[in-house]
Amino acid sequence: MSGARLHTPAPQAPLIELRGLSKTYEAGGTQIFALRPTDLIVKHGAFLTVMGPSGSGKSTLLNLFGLLMRPTSGTYLLEGRAVSGLNDDATSAVRCKMIGMVFQSFNLLSHLTILENVCVPMQYAGVPRATMRQRAKALLDRFGLEGRYGSRPTQLSGGQCQRVAIARALANDPPVILADEPTGNLDEKTGLEVLSIFQELHRSGKTIIMVTHNPAYRTYATQAVTIHDGRASEA
Amino acid sequence: MNLLEMARTVYASLTRHLVRSLLATLGIVLGIAAVVAMLAIGEGGRREALHQIESQGVDNIILRSVKPAEGNVTQTTRSYTQRYGITQRDVEHIAAVFENVRLLVPVMEVRREIFLGQASTDIKAIATTPDFLEVTRCRLVDRRSRFLAPTDGKILDPICVVGVKAARRLFGHRDPIGQTIAIGNASFRVVGLMESPGGGRIGGQLELNNIVCMPLETATSLWGGITVRMGRGMAERVDYDYLYLAAKNVNAIPSTAGRLRTYLRETHAQVDYEVQVPYELLQSAQRTQRIFTVVMTSIAAISLLVGGIGIMNIMLANIFERTREIGVRRALGARKRDILWQFLAESVLLTSIGGGLGAGLGIATAAAAEWISRMGGETGLKAVVTSESLIVALAVSVITGITFGTHPAWKAAQLDPLTALRHE
Repeated sequence: MSGARLHTPAPQAPLIELRGLSKTYEAGGTQIFALRPTDLIVKHGAFLTVMGPSGSGKSTLLNLFGLLMRPTSGTYLLEGRAVSGLNDDATSAVRCKMIGMVFQSFNLLSHLTILENVCVPMQYAGVPRATMRQRAKALLDRFGLEGRYGSRPTQLSGGQCQRVAIARALANDPPVILADEPTGNLDEKTGLEVLSIFQELHRSGKTIIMVTHNPAYRTYATQAVTIHDGRASEA
Repeated sequence: MNLLEMARTVYASLTRHLVRSLLATLGIVLGIAAVVAMLAIGEGGRREALHQIESQGVDNIILRSVKPAEGNVTQTTRSYTQRYGITQRDVEHIAAVFENVRLLVPVMEVRREIFLGQASTDIKAIATTPDFLEVTRCRLVDRRSRFLAPTDGKILDPICVVGVKAARRLFGHRDPIGQTIAIGNASFRVVGLMESPGGGRIGGQLELNNIVCMPLETATSLWGGITVRMGRGMAERVDYDYLYLAAKNVNAIPSTAGRLRTYLRETHAQVDYEVQVPYELLQSAQRTQRIFTVVMTSIAAISLLVGGIGIMNIMLANIFERTREIGVRRALGARKRDILWQFLAESVLLTSIGGGLGAGLGIATAAAAEWISRMGGETGLKAVVTSESLIVALAVSVITGITFGTHPAWKAAQLDPLTALRHE
């Protein structure tokens, strides 16, 4: 299931290309760079880790990738198409179909069952109900949650919650998965389990961009970015 | 997101805080209950008033003889007979001059006792003409019944027609047709049984179902055409107690009533009459109804305003509490309008539930009001719940939901996704 793409990707275009992308904010009358102008290319099928100390600009970069933040300057090309200047509806559509997000704190909707949680992105993509439920079940089965469809997030362990969140991120089969410290709230063993899921996704062809504190995860990456004081550098 | 999905989402969010959601709708519940109950009672009152007026006949003008106050008695002759009320001359004049009058029906109270065995009763006897049945909206009950006929007064065998209530009291379960009644010093054969379906009264006085009617000619030939009653050594003389004027059409009523009043003012030295115009009563009832409607609408509007503000309040609280949910939904691809519709649908669902509960409460209130007002008496308030009033109630609650839900939903939709997502 390829999902409805918004446009036909240019054949040779990299998945993501940042050209001089920057973000500034104002504090006490002076412009401060949250992210200094950055050029970056992420190819299809890459596993990119973003590392750096707290407040260095990691989250800013991830939020720019996820279109949750507008850049101050520069261009963000997703499959060859400039997405940084799109209007709100178009931005929402890109988030819905091209990007899957996994958060540190899972961000599941507690009043919905886990099946319904996985369905949320598909609702916004206009997937028919029967297909939606079928696909959500398949995803939950894939991450070892078969038979738990009716559970609420509060009835699950942290590792299980993060697996539901990953299933939700994959619901519309987006090419990119953004993960913001996905193992940050988990113990080491569970963290490794979740990491292995990302590896598996990577192997199956997804592009992963993961913010992490854990230097050990570097070893799984095909590409790594380190940020210090808003200055991103590829290592 | 399609409608069904939206409904599921909304249902899931509302059931999360069921008690709080229901409390939030309390204002709407009471507002709608007030609307439904007042509409029901208003409608009941309106129908009752209309019914009473119509049972008198909207196209009728009823003239009634009224004994003038004692001080105004002018002794025109040396006799001790006090004359007042509608005279034969009045009837003849009206018959000759009032071209818009279709039927003219004089009614004379016979003032003779009706005996049941040896005992007298309070059943009244009247003498009138054959058109009486039509102008009073009465109908004959038994298939063998007939009303007074123009030839009846000229025959020697006096006949009468009995109201259903009078018949029950006089004859019990016996067949009244063909029975004989003693009225004063004469006996009358019953030829018909009549009923006023609305339980009407002649000029608001005599109950139609509790009278005995005889031909005018019979009464005049038996008792001389003058009904005399002794009181404090004085005799009274009244030609006719009531006079029905049936207009050719309803539009002619105001002018006819005006002319009648002018004529009576000029020809009667004292005000010994009363003009009743049901059509005017109808108009004044409609005016009262309009005032009632305005007052009711204001009350409803105020309750709904208060209720709507309650809804807006709870929706704002909801949205604040669920800011993070909004952020998550936006991060997962929800557009602004998806968020807007979700929260608008929630407030409309809230107010609709409130409206449904309110309608139920309103029906119950109306029924209770009816029951309480009827305790002890046979008549009282009447409540009529019309389907229109329920449709109005539902529509009003939906409109309230939209009106007061739009601002919170708009606020929710305008939240910045990232800010919302970081909200604790």
